[in-house]
Amino acid sequence: MAIDYKKALEIASKSMIRVHDPDRLIKMIVRMIVQKVKVSHANILLHDKERGTYVMTVSRGPSGLRVPNGFTRMDDANPLIRLFKEHKADLLFSDNVIIYSKGKKYLDIIANKELNQLLRDALYQMEMFDTVTCIPSYFVDELIGVFLLGKKDNGTEFDKSELDFFTALASDVAMAINNAQTFKDLQKAFHDLKNELERNKRLFISITNAMAAAIDAKDHYTHGHTTRVKEVSHLICDRLATNKTNGVDDKFREHVAIASVLHDIGKIGVPEAILNKQGPLTPDEFKVIKDHPAIGETILKSIDGLEDCLLAVKYHHERYDGSGYPIGLKGSQIPLIAAIICVADAYDAMVSDRPYRKGLPKEKAITEIVTLAGKQFHPEISAIMNDLYREGRI
Amino acid sequence: MRKLLIVDDEEDVRNFTANFFRKRQLDVHTASSGEEAIETLKNSKPDLVLLDICMGGISGIQTLAEIKKIDKSIKVVIVTATRPEENECYHECISLGACGYVQKPLELKELELVVMSTLQPEGTTA
Repeated sequence: MAIDYKKALEIASKSMIRVHDPDRLIKMIVRMIVQKVKVSHANILLHDKERGTYVMTVSRGPSGLRVPNGFTRMDDANPLIRLFKEHKADLLFSDNVIIYSKGKKYLDIIANKELNQLLRDALYQMEMFDTVTCIPSYFVDELIGVFLLGKKDNGTEFDKSELDFFTALASDVAMAINNAQTFKDLQKAFHDLKNELERNKRLFISITNAMAAAIDAKDHYTHGHTTRVKEVSHLICDRLATNKTNGVDDKFREHVAIASVLHDIGKIGVPEAILNKQGPLTPDEFKVIKDHPAIGETILKSIDGLEDCLLAVKYHHERYDGSGYPIGLKGSQIPLIAAIICVADAYDAMVSDRPYRKGLPKEKAITEIVTLAGKQFHPEISAIMNDLYREGRI
Repeated sequence: MRKLLIVDDEEDVRNFTANFFRKRQLDVHTASSGEEAIETLKNSKPDLVLLDICMGGISGIQTLAEIKKIDKSIKVVIVTATRPEENECYHECISLGACGYVQKPLELKELELVVMSTLQPEGTTA
């Protein structure tokens, strides 16, 4: 029964699209050739870029005929490779396909001594591998590989449709290998880009931390404050994230982390004498302190991508009832990111020691936060703080 | 008929090279390990041993030394996956009396040439 090679090819090309791993793909093709066309054995010689040679990579057929994977190679100087690389095969054989029996006949005809010898040596290569047909696989002009096929089981020569089938497969293989290579290159490029982004991100975080350290250096009371605000904000976000509707996703959490580190950056513009004053501030001094959100905004606003963090820098002293500064935003007018930093900031300020007063016990600070829920603090976040405390997480 | 012993732990390699050299009128025997090679050798002495250097069990180098202990006149060609200059044991193989060295992946013609020329009665023991 005649085999529908067209159908087989269609199936093959469909699979090729799916398979990105060229090794798997070639195994599949060799298996198909042996099974569909019923040849004794089939070997594929593939270009090995690293070694700069062609290596017998995939082989199918009975042991003794099939070439062990990676056992043999053919260098550029190998006569068979030369016939294909130097485009001499296409002078002698239609479609570039070397047929052993035809080649033998040509030896009596070819007058050019050099070509005659080259063909003779190439045919001997085929003999060594018990091969009767060689099909090259080119991508554009580059020899990617060679199929070496054994005899057909029924002893007949390959007919035109079979040879066309091989040629089509060989060109598909070249295309697929090239695609696989392109895919690999793309993956590498993507990987490099990802690494670059990671590096940039790390750099950004380092710079952010350096800026925070600048505030810490100036404001002695806040030493370690930003780290603690970051930790508490992180815990608050964990709880908020369980509610899918409030937009607390990974991106948001990243912004919260940055904002918690930078929220007091504006204190750089506040005189040290005020920042480090022992004892309560006068109304004038307090007015100066109140400028720090605006100074922070001025410092950070030129940085692209910090827009959300900027909201926290600007509004982390707003109060839920509208009595905060700098604007007097109320309730839901206060961005969530600012409300989170506000609570975390206030909690840490309450429990931290100051030279002129001792920090509150945690229990008292939490009671204060719960009491001021809906007044100074966002009620949901106040409740979360209470939960976190009861669970021993803060 | 000249006798060739192929020692390799990979079955496909043994079968392929055995098939190849049988067609070249050699009396081919195979062994899948150094131990098996030495046993085979005791019963019937080959003219040439094609020895894979990297095997499980006793190593190719030990096998080579053993072969030479049994009979110095048995020629041994080493097959290896590393380049001579990268292979520390190359010089050891030569000093132990190996007369040839073929690197995998190999040009089949080169393997044929090394084996057939080594087996020529008037051939040199290069």
